[in-house]
Parts: sequence; C-alpha cells; structure tokens
Amino acid sequence: MLLAEHVSKQYPNVVALDDLNLEVPDGAIFGFLGHNGAGKTTALSIFSTLILPTSGRVTIQGLDVVKDNLKVRGILGYLPENVSLYGDLTVRENLRFLGRLSEVRKVDQAIDETLDMLGFSQWSESKVKILSKGMRQRVGIAQSILHKPKILFLDEPTSGLDPEGSADIREILLRINAELGTTIFMNTHMLSEVTKTCTDIGIISHGKLLLADTLKNIEMQYKDCNSLEEIYFRIGKGDAE
Amino acid sequence: MTGVKLIAGKKLRASFRNMEFLLIVGVFLLMSIVSVYIGSTTKNAEMRAYESIASSAANAGTEIPAAPVIYSLAILKNLVEYIVMIGAILAIFLGYDVFQGERQGGTLRLLFTKPIPRRSIILGKLLGAGLVIGLLLTVTLFFNMALFAYYTGVLPNFEETLRVIVFLGIAFAYMMNFYTAALYISIKTRESSYGFLIMMVVWIFISFVVPQIAESQKSYAYAINNIAGTITQVPGETALSNAIGWLSPAVQFKFVGSDLLQTVSETATIPLGRLLVAEIVKMIYLILPGIVLALLSLREVEKEGTL
Repeated sequence: MLLAEHVSKQYPNVVALDDLNLEVPDGAIFGFLGHNGAGKTTALSIFSTLILPTSGRVTIQGLDVVKDNLKVRGILGYLPENVSLYGDLTVRENLRFLGRLSEVRKVDQAIDETLDMLGFSQWSESKVKILSKGMRQRVGIAQSILHKPKILFLDEPTSGLDPEGSADIREILLRINAELGTTIFMNTHMLSEVTKTCTDIGIISHGKLLLADTLKNIEMQYKDCNSLEEIYFRIGKGDAE
Repeated sequence: MTGVKLIAGKKLRASFRNMEFLLIVGVFLLMSIVSVYIGSTTKNAEMRAYESIASSAANAGTEIPAAPVIYSLAILKNLVEYIVMIGAILAIFLGYDVFQGERQGGTLRLLFTKPIPRRSIILGKLLGAGLVIGLLLTVTLFFNMALFAYYTGVLPNFEETLRVIVFLGIAFAYMMNFYTAALYISIKTRESSYGFLIMMVVWIFISFVVPQIAESQKSYAYAINNIAGTITQVPGETALSNAIGWLSPAVQFKFVGSDLLQTVSETATIPLGRLLVAEIVKMIYLILPGIVLALLSLREVEKEGTL
C-alpha cells in the first residue's frame, strides 16, 4: 500500500527525516508515534503530497507521490490537526464543496451515507462554527472519506478531545477501516489510543525510524514490558543512548 | 477546470454573504447614484449660468458667448473618483485575507490534498473575485444608465453606451489590480493584518500621495471671465507632472476615465476607436500590473513554503 524508500527531508538548519524506510500494508491501521519534533508531521506531509522529500521515494498503491501527485490525491483522504473548515458554511455545504473537489459523483447521496455512518446526520444543516471541537473533527473525517479513499492520513485525530470524544473518533476509525477497507495512517501521541485502535505501529525519533511492525509482533518481542508505554520509552531510550 | 469553477463559485457566494462586503457594495452603489445626481445638477447649473449670461449679454447688446458644450456622459464623471477610492478599497477587502485566511483556518492543507493543481486554487480565487467585481460594475452600469436616462430625458446612443462599457472594462482592470496585489500579499505574509496594512499604504500612495505630488508640479494659467466676473485657474500638464503621474495607476485611470466619459473637451468629440488607439499605452499600463501579479501568485503557490 504505502512504501517509503530512503526518504529524507532536509531544511536549512535541521534534518527532519533521515533515511526513512517504511511499509504500511493494505487494510492496516498504522499508528505513528514520536515525541514533539520527531518528524511525524513531516513524514505525513510528504506521504499526503503536501511537501516534497529532499531525497527518496514514496509510493501509494504503486503511484509515486511526487510524479503522480494528482492521482495520489484522488485516492487519499487527509485530516490535518485542528482543522477549522469553513465556519460560515453548514456541514453539508462544507462537504459538498470539498466532496466536489475530490470528484465525488452524486455528492449529496455520498454526504448522506457518510453522515449516517458517522452518526452525524442531524447536524448536516448546522453551521460549522457553532459545532464543538469533537463534532468538527467528525466533519473533518467525513470530508476525508467522502470519496472512499484507499488510504486516510490523520494528524493527531484525537488532539484536544475529551475521553468521550476520543472514544467516538476511535470507533469511527475502526468502522471506516472495517466497512470501507481504508488503510489508516495516523500520527498520535496517545499510546492508549494506539493499543485500542492500531494494528501496526511505527516509532520515530529525531527524524529516524526506530521501529515499525505489527502491534502483536512488538508485544511479543518486548514480552517483559507491561505496556506499550514501557516499550515506547525503552525504544526511545535506546535511541538516546 | 472543475476545481477553478468550484473555488470561484464559493468565492462568489461567500462574498455576498459577508456583511462588511455588502456594506461597502451598498456605499459604492449609493455613491454612484450621488455621482449621477451631482453630475446632472452641475450640468444644469452650468446651463442656467450660461442662460443668465446670455440674457445679460442680449440685454446689453453685446455679443452672446457660445453655449458651453456639455456632453451627456459627463454627468457620470464622479464615478472615476469613486472607483479610485471605494472601488479600490472594495477590491482590497476582497483580497487581503483570501489566501492567509485559508492558511490560518487549516483549509489550505485540505485544498492542497485534493486532486486539483495548486494553481487552480489561485485561478479560482481570481475568477471568483473577477465575477464579484464584474457583477458589481455591471449593476453599477445599469444603475447609472437608468439614472442617466432619468436625468437627461434621453437614452444614451450607441457611441455613448460603448464608451461606458469600455470605461467599466478599464474600471474592472483597475480594481483587479488591487485585488491581485492583495492576493499576492496574502500569499506572502503570514498575518492578515499585515497584508491589509501593506495594501492600505499602497492604496494611499497610489490614490493620494502620487497624484498630489503630480498636481503640485503642474503649471497654471488663469482665465478671466469679464461678464461673470470670475477668475478660473486652468492647470496645465508639465513634463514633470506627466512623469510623476506614470507612477500612479490612479492618475492614468483618471485620464482614461475622464476621456471616455467625455469630461475633457479636447477629447470628447474624438470617436471611440481613435480614442482607444490614442490611449492604448495607458490602458496597457492599467491592465499589466494585474496580469503580472496574477502570474507571480501562480508561481508563489507552487512553492513549498506557501503552506
């Protein structure tokens, strides 16, 4: 599904990504973990065609994210951290605009189906600016899956949400993965969310990928650790040493 | 192309939902009504003054001076000033936050991950604003033609109608210059308030500072009216005032606009075709900045740092 080969991203004073090699299989829910400034958002920005890698290659379903960027955008969905959407438009108007940009046919039907799936139909005629953060996050997810993407990129999807909101988003992501078969790639700090949601995880630190494997394999490998948090800190400490 | 049309349509709808924008549009339309009213009352006042002078001359047995030639379109002459002032402000208001607003709101990242080229976003914003400004000027055209017919009692003839259409075309180009400048600044700056401030400085410089400096470099002759007992100051262009005038699109727009609306007696009778040929350099000068800034915006949006 997603294959990153020797991907690096260099800025004038910092190496944001250093020779990243990563493979995310079809149908996975991949949690990308790392400290602030580790390179998670940079990686996600490259994968979602927002920025170019300095070197290396990324392909999604065999399509190069640089050379075939328009085709790649047709099969990906994206939700940035803290998305505001267009506050003066209703939920439906936002989704109609963004859905048409994603070349969704019969967009109103797609909107109805998506809102039903997310349990959000009653808010379709409400202006986005009156919605709570959790509701806006749902609208953000709705716009990212209207066109039934092959892969969904989420940047800290539960950031700033209360426990109920986080649980809702978690359920929604599991439903999207199960019903649409969409591969999910999400940046997150929330280790508890990862254990409840993800099938695969990757840990990045200072631009370097420390680990990427299925959650089961990692738990088997670190049998002596009691939690993912312990595993995370042990791996991170290994990097620091 | 679909992306361009979608973004343009959204810009058009959003503009007419914005209360501040509608307020400026209302002021603009009101000022155009005022412009026609002032123009027509000025015309009527000039005719009454002439009739009084002619009557006095007839009574005194002296030669009756020739009647002033007042062209009908001249009643629209104040539109030139209102477009320079309010039209430019309206265009700045449409554009100062158009890109930075999306960036700050996080919607720019969403747009950049849709299967549309980045340049479509800029082209859509340009088309949308063009539709708003074009619609506004078209409504102004109909308004003013209706008022023209009301105050003069006649409908404008074909030549006069063409002159007004060309005038509004040049007004469109003039306003789009400010919009594209605001758009470009909006892409380059990270704070909407800075963008607005920069555009206000540009507007003041172009609309007031440079024209006033150019005005101060003119030479003046004085016409004495023995019958009315008045002295009229008649400004004359100098090489320096002309050169300074080229630093301001507002000055050139006023020249072209005044000629098109027949407010300048020397050019009022020149057929439109010949007038356009004579004014071609000024018209290119008025159209070119908008094109250049649009191209710069299209180039800028492709850069990685735009996010």
